[in-house]
Amino acid sequence: MNRLEGKTALVTGGRQGIGRGIVERFVAEGARVMTCGRGARPEDLPAVVSWQTTDIGARRDVENLGKAVVDEFGALSILVNNAGVQIEKTVVDTTDADWERLMGVNVTGVFLACRALIPLMADGGSIINIGSISATTADPGMAIYNASKAFVQGLTRSIAVDHGPAIRCNAISPGWIMTGMAEAGFAVASDPAAAQRDAIARHPAGRFGQPADIASLATWLASDEASFATGQCYTLDGGMTAASPLNPALF
Amino acid sequence: MMKQALAGKTAFVTGGSGGIGAAICERFQAEGATVIAADLRQAGVLADGVEFRQYDVTDEAGVIASFEELAGRWGNLDILVNAAGIEIEKTIEDTTLAEWNQIFAINVTGMFLTCKYALPLLRRSDGASVINFGSYDGFIADPGLAAYCATKGAVHALTRAMACDHGPEGIRVNAICPGYVNTPMLQSFFGDSGDIESLKQAVRDVHPIRSYGEPRDVANLVNWLASDEARYASGQLWVLDGGLSAQVQQMKL
Repeated sequence: MNRLEGKTALVTGGRQGIGRGIVERFVAEGARVMTCGRGARPEDLPAVVSWQTTDIGARRDVENLGKAVVDEFGALSILVNNAGVQIEKTVVDTTDADWERLMGVNVTGVFLACRALIPLMADGGSIINIGSISATTADPGMAIYNASKAFVQGLTRSIAVDHGPAIRCNAISPGWIMTGMAEAGFAVASDPAAAQRDAIARHPAGRFGQPADIASLATWLASDEASFATGQCYTLDGGMTAASPLNPALF
Repeated sequence: MMKQALAGKTAFVTGGSGGIGAAICERFQAEGATVIAADLRQAGVLADGVEFRQYDVTDEAGVIASFEELAGRWGNLDILVNAAGIEIEKTIEDTTLAEWNQIFAINVTGMFLTCKYALPLLRRSDGASVINFGSYDGFIADPGLAAYCATKGAVHALTRAMACDHGPEGIRVNAICPGYVNTPMLQSFFGDSGDIESLKQAVRDVHPIRSYGEPRDVANLVNWLASDEARYASGQLWVLDGGLSAQVQQMKL
């Protein structure tokens, strides 16, 4: 299918996980795609995808990213703010360095990317921010990660309100998607395998998500099919947060 | 031609001849599904190939008979859209008990009956999707729509409950919560409040995308939720409102 034919897309954090899933799907749907991340271009990145080495939390890097987008595409039609960092700590255990690293990517990075790239959406565009279900219900021991995702939801609404009608802006709030990040979350459990079984039992869909699931929704939101969708934070979690966390069958 | 998203699927749409329902049926048909538009009466012209079925969501015997017949004909059901609904433009003080009972009978009890008797067919699908019609009015109120707002809150809770109970059986359940969509219901809501064209402009201006929705915008999201692309989406209330509820009240300053 070619639902994104003729569109240009920048996906931050496309090295792996959800970001890579979105990059590959956007290419398959006909978009011209650039992605970025710290470090060198990943060897397994498809050749048609452009790579820009970028620290998304560094102003100079993001300005260069904007220049690369202009050089490569001229105008931008889709921005996916996917790059994110997770730190499994309470507030008390979080160091200044932890704070700066996480907020630098999850908060400053999203702000910098929007500020630099919205002006490049001359013909209108769709911005898709990757939030988290943790924005509205706290994952234990992930204090500043949860808070950073609440920022993403607030900013999503503001961009939709301030920059519509030319620009639509929505967030996707994934639940447990099987990536390195989710595995790191389970790794803190006393029995990670048992924790995974328990977690699956709390999903009406009977499984964890895959990056392809998030890519499906990102594609829809990026496409013209979603021209009435803006200002929303859409949860995609296999039904997990539709159910109460108190589940007697799991006692 | 794009690959059809719903090829080989069977779909049953209540309220299928209404403003939004008819657009959904047309889209489903174009995406390769076999579609029944179920409604009290056929209001307009249905898309070619869409079958009309006289159907009253409040009539339990009729609902049972419909799904018994479909069990024999289709064997399963892949997509159920509960789009039948009415609106009563009154505060609670002006709403009679008969009106209150009527809107709950259609918007909530009707959804319950349709889902209850469709479940055996939905279980036989390889991956069923139920799409209920909630409303952004289930979150924030429009003035003078009290009973309607209450029914949509009930739809939202029922959607989560069904997702929770029937997810393990391979059935996804979501609700779409439209904002202002250009339908006969919206025209009725404008009522006698003033010049319809100026109201339309005012309604457009309060949306971040500077437009109210069209039925096809809603059909776009229903199509996605019905398709296998959305196989991880369940238990959610999908607000589709052109950004309206992302704002606070728009003060005239």
